Amino acid sequence: MSFRSRNGRSSADSKEYENRNCGPSPWSQCRKRGADGNLRNKREEDNNDEKPSKHPDDRPANFTTPESDGPLSRCGRQSDWGSQVENEEALIKDVHKDMHRYRRRLLAAEFSQRERKNSSGSSDSRESLLPTTGEMETDESVLLRRQKQINYGKNTLAYDRYVKEVPKHLRQPGIHPKTPNKFKKYSRRSWDQQIKLWKVKLHAWDPPAQDGQEKDLNDIEELDLDDVMDIELDFPSLPESLNSTSLSRHTVPFLEDVQDDCAGTPSKVMKTEDTPE
Amino acid sequence: MEMSAKEDYKIQSFDPETQNLLKTALKEPSSVDLEKVADVIVDQSLKDQVFSKEAGRICYTIVQAEVKQNNGSVFRRRLLTRLQQEFTVREEIRAHSLQEWVCYVTFICNIFDYLKVNNMPMVALVHPVYDCLLRLAQPDALLNEEEVNCLVLQLHRIGDQLEKVNGQRMDELFFLLRDGFLLQESIGSMARLLLLEMLEFRAGGWKLSSTANKYYYSELSD
Repeated sequence: MSFRSRNGRSSADSKEYENRNCGPSPWSQCRKRGADGNLRNKREEDNNDEKPSKHPDDRPANFTTPESDGPLSRCGRQSDWGSQVENEEALIKDVHKDMHRYRRRLLAAEFSQRERKNSSGSSDSRESLLPTTGEMETDESVLLRRQKQINYGKNTLAYDRYVKEVPKHLRQPGIHPKTPNKFKKYSRRSWDQQIKLWKVKLHAWDPPAQDGQEKDLNDIEELDLDDVMDIELDFPSLPESLNSTSLSRHTVPFLEDVQDDCAGTPSKVMKTEDTPE
Repeated sequence: MEMSAKEDYKIQSFDPETQNLLKTALKEPSSVDLEKVADVIVDQSLKDQVFSKEAGRICYTIVQAEVKQNNGSVFRRRLLTRLQQEFTVREEIRAHSLQEWVCYVTFICNIFDYLKVNNMPMVALVHPVYDCLLRLAQPDALLNEEEVNCLVLQLHRIGDQLEKVNGQRMDELFFLLRDGFLLQESIGSMARLLLLEMLEFRAGGWKLSSTANKYYYSELSD
């Protein structure tokens, strides 16, 4: 049934659930009596009257958005099934495309790394930390899940403002939010944590006033999906990492556990990202 | 599924003209009005219980053919739109014709089973399908053998897939089934048997043990 009525049910019947799950004798209480009596049936009839009349209208437009029961952000807002399925398909296609591009960049990076080593012979410590094609996350379901999370983050006013206010070349690791790299191998927890911290950081660009928000939503929805990919792929690009001090990403793999433990304080992450220096 | 002839899409029940339309849609999708084809299929599914059980196959083939021919999705879009329209008025459908309601549920579940995106179930349909099945598990519906039969058929076919994409709602559904089985005295013995079978079926990982199978089906099979 619709989320609303489901929630309604679970809260209304939460006592029953408790009995069911952990009560030592679910039968001794209302349940068994309900079986031969009216109490239970009556309640069920109530539910019955209520549910069907409720969902057609009350259902939130984004009721099929996965991963959460609550009304969700503007992703997956389109409520017609045809579009939903097409969006899903498009997302998969984009992920595939990204995968190819990312792989190419990694290969290019590996190659030029070797070149440089030959010429200068000094970059050995760095080299071992660069991701290689073998360490790439290729599980489609994982990538899709991550892409969705990223899209949720990017589909915000804050992100939009951030992108406008801070051009890419001015962003500094540790200070500015950086989209987590979906192609790296991370534990589920580590990834979710990175996303969380990234979103926390993005909130710094939340628009100041509340009015006019609804108006802007539509515009934002239009822009995102595509240029999103572009920004993300920027991550592993080699030149940037060479001429800036942005070693932060190299540190991420072995910081996984640290991040897992640091329960969501943004300041800590800034710290971890700075440590290599 | 249980059909042997691969090319048999059960379209014999259509009038000759429509049969032709469908045949062309299967071969040369871009040469026909695919929205009309979708409408024809949906309409027939709502009337014809036999067709609704297998309509997913023909839909799947048309979808594939359309993608292959011009990378289009006109047919699927129309199909889903129609499904959604009917979904929003499902209570009215049920009130006005149980048979049509059962056909609808059979059809949407069959589409869920056959049409995949990237080999995964279409996310958009997960909750609607659950909504339908949960409706079939409500106390008033459990009194209807037609609805119980339908529910059981659907769980046999797509229960495991559904549980994989959303286990929580499957739990919710099975709370209802247990409640019905235990507490609803007015349920007939046949329906009760089916419910019990479902409980065992899911508990066994969407399989029946051979003994259970014998118990539930020995009477039926010759």
